[in-house]
Amino acid sequence: MDNVILDVRNFNVTYVNKYKKVYAVKDANFSINRGDSLGIVGESGSGKSTMAMALLRLLPEKSTEISGSAYFLGKDLVKLSEEELKKLRWKELSVVFQKSMNSLSPVHRIRTQVEDIYRVHNPKATREEIAERFIHLLKLVNLSDRVYNLYPHELSGGMLQRVSIAISLINNPKLLIMDEATTALDVVTQGQILDEVVKMEKEMDMTRIMITHDMSVVATSCNKVAVMYAGEIMELGYVKDVLKKPMHPYTKGLMASFPSLKGKKEKLQSIGGFLPDLSKKYEGCIFAPRCSSAMDICQKKPPVIEMENGRTVRCHLYGGER
Amino acid sequence: MKNDSFICIDNVSMWYPAKGNRVFSGEKRYVKAVDGVSINMDRGEILGIIGESGCGKSTLGRILARLENPTGGDVYIEGESTGNLLKKDPKAFRRLVQIVFQNPYDSFTPRDTIEEILMRPLNIHSIGKDKDERKKIILEALESGGLHPAEEIARRYPHELSGGQLQRISILRAMLVEPKFVIADEPVSMLDVSVRAEIINMLLKLSREKDAAVIFISHDISLTRYISDKVAVMYLGRIVEYGEADEVISNPRHPYTQALISNCGSIDPDEIMDKIKVEGEPPTPINPGPGCYFASRCFKASKECFKEYPATHDVGGGHKVACDRLY
Repeated sequence: MDNVILDVRNFNVTYVNKYKKVYAVKDANFSINRGDSLGIVGESGSGKSTMAMALLRLLPEKSTEISGSAYFLGKDLVKLSEEELKKLRWKELSVVFQKSMNSLSPVHRIRTQVEDIYRVHNPKATREEIAERFIHLLKLVNLSDRVYNLYPHELSGGMLQRVSIAISLINNPKLLIMDEATTALDVVTQGQILDEVVKMEKEMDMTRIMITHDMSVVATSCNKVAVMYAGEIMELGYVKDVLKKPMHPYTKGLMASFPSLKGKKEKLQSIGGFLPDLSKKYEGCIFAPRCSSAMDICQKKPPVIEMENGRTVRCHLYGGER
Repeated sequence: MKNDSFICIDNVSMWYPAKGNRVFSGEKRYVKAVDGVSINMDRGEILGIIGESGCGKSTLGRILARLENPTGGDVYIEGESTGNLLKKDPKAFRRLVQIVFQNPYDSFTPRDTIEEILMRPLNIHSIGKDKDERKKIILEALESGGLHPAEEIARRYPHELSGGQLQRISILRAMLVEPKFVIADEPVSMLDVSVRAEIINMLLKLSREKDAAVIFISHDISLTRYISDKVAVMYLGRIVEYGEADEVISNPRHPYTQALISNCGSIDPDEIMDKIKVEGEPPTPINPGPGCYFASRCFKASKECFKEYPATHDVGGGHKVACDRLY
């Protein structure tokens, strides 16, 4: 079991305010082995970002309830104190957001900012040591070392996002979470950054969670995929299994709504209906109202069915009691 | 040159004066957002325009709807300049040409109900005899756009509807006045994939029914292939490749299009192609020449490419490529 980097069990995230509760993530179970790259796909409002933020414990504690467990290298992220978390952040566990580049200070050189960040965990590090390290990382993300002495405004969006990725890697983290980190970029830049990330991962022995709404990003850069809908993981498994042969009706629907670049033009399908109101509790399958293969039994909660190759599907179609 | 095509985009340019003009030397600098674009379109044709952010595709869309006047060239509809058309009869021109914007949340008055919003174009263009008839038209349009129950939707305010529903209404609103030319500027990029298909299929259906020419501006190549008859690829304000959608996307000839398509991910994990590396970022659109604008990033570039902007070559079947290194 020491190959497991992150093990998430019965993970729930609920947003609470005076008037209502919103069940944003419900009963999530998954684990990531060392060297894996897990893509979490889902539409807006499916809870994918909430899950990442909750794992990082970045949600405001007053208004969120987190239950279940998330063991990261043997420590339960849900129960850690702020002090202990500080030790983990950047060092073992780091994150890149969609707009991470906006968090760079406009009035300091990249160099100054990187030195500050590195010294949080290594207060005695010398400038030369840091420069050497960071320039190596810049090479990994395909930037020239000239960038190190520039100000953020001198770089383009794609370059800044690359800098953010390099910064997230500065302490050699065990787990990197990328939350729509390449979404705002151009096709060409995105394609290249994804390639670089995959390459760099091999070199640095890193594990990655990739949150995205774009199936093609998962297809090109991940080996496992979790499909989320309305806060629940509907289907989980290896990319080559899930995307080749989607089983859950939602995954099928999602795949059919992506047009392909090659082959015949098939009529694009869409999934009718809307996301359910997540402030209510539902008895049956959460996808049933929009599902084309819904049956009577879907009024009851579907079981999570385990298939070969570690694949799980949350659907009545594949067994359980009928 | 101006010709008989339904829509003729003739050498259109949009040069914005750049900051830092050198007053004393008299040298002027421009941001060449759109730089000499010429395309012809037939009635009912759907033309996809693809390109990266900043390549000028939205500016081109705004010029076509005459929200901006081009600094060079002109756009002709049935042989008449859109500038003249707009001057002569603004109302008629706005009825002829409609535009759908990217963000449906921003394109409606928050204080009006959907009925009031859709009533306005009908009132302005005097479509329908009286209020009752107009209301009937609105309800029919909503039904045809898959918005049920129409009565209920018409009573709602924009904030009570989802982005997908709003974008459908935005397209319906544009189509209510039966335009002959519709510009859709990234109409689905804000929406979730599962509702995109509906919107796209609706746009396709309406434009076929009304025989309207559509410009579909997008950065999503596979979607553009799905919807368009013809595709134009833009890079730094210029069209670098143009032709039948299938032909251009399955058999790209310009190195930029090749790189763009090779970097476009597929959802089939077995179908991962070798990506063509493109070095660096697009240069600034301030005086990008001389030579081919793409030359500095191009994997095929030779010395000649930096000397003169390449001529446009027809490689067969109306497939045009602005590159001298085709073979």
